[in-house]
Amino acid sequence: MEYWSNGRAMKTVMLTGFLLCLIGTLHGQELKKEFVDPMPQDSRSAAVKVKGGTMLFLAGHTASLPQVNVDHGNFEAQFNRVFDKIKTTLSQAGATFDDIVTMSVFLTDLRYIPEFNKLTREIFKKGFPAVTFVEVSHLARPQLIMEIQPIAVIP
Amino acid sequence: MKHIALGVLGFAVFSGSALAQEREMILPVPQSAYSQAVKIKGGTLVFLSGVGPADEKGVLAAPGDFPGQVRATWANMRRVLAKAGGSLDDIVTMTVYTTERRWGEIFTDMRKEVFKTGYPSSAFMEARKLKTPGALLEIQAIAVLKE
Repeated sequence: MEYWSNGRAMKTVMLTGFLLCLIGTLHGQELKKEFVDPMPQDSRSAAVKVKGGTMLFLAGHTASLPQVNVDHGNFEAQFNRVFDKIKTTLSQAGATFDDIVTMSVFLTDLRYIPEFNKLTREIFKKGFPAVTFVEVSHLARPQLIMEIQPIAVIP
Repeated sequence: MKHIALGVLGFAVFSGSALAQEREMILPVPQSAYSQAVKIKGGTLVFLSGVGPADEKGVLAAPGDFPGQVRATWANMRRVLAKAGGSLDDIVTMTVYTTERRWGEIFTDMRKEVFKTGYPSSAFMEARKLKTPGALLEIQAIAVLKE
């Protein structure tokens, strides 16, 4: 009788454990991420697949400064400022560049794409996000040549 | 009794997760084949890079032919989504960039043929230029896979 009772207790403990694991798997925030069709030569993936995690929708980031009519510099200078600002925004939410899953990249001239890809190669070390490039005639301020709007998923 | 209770709990967890996949199209606009919003909880998200009428090797389909390029774009999106384990029906939102906004009507008519289970939310706009030379449209989409 004693033995049987222990066995049943054991069974209940095991079943509870199993169910807790199940609940953990189904409802946990653990992030699963897959880079679909990565294209390293283009510094992007055809798609990024994610399950779980916390989503972060960023505003369009530019090299814009509080002062108007300042020189925002050449493409590389603007790129560095934009990504510095994105990094600051991400870190406020506890995220890093690696958490970016997609970016809309608005440029005033698509001929900057090769340079853009060369610079992003240094930023995304764990896999490339999905990217969409669009050439627009104007951004918020006359000196701006790029605006980047990312979405991140934080583990 | 305990086992039954745990079984019921397990079932509740399973069905709860299944229900989480249901999507609701809010204020559909059938004449333009989009919804003002799509509401969905849970699931696996797929963020697509902009997809245009060029194939995997970058060869442009149907030069100068907008409907032909739309069909090629759907085919390319199907290919990318299939690799992620999904289909066009899983798309919840799309941003459509075109080089000439006058093609809006042709585009929405063609979108009606593709989405049969509900329309995604959408934005349609004219861009000065797209990445693939000769491309007349490019679509950036987010999908949530049905599980």
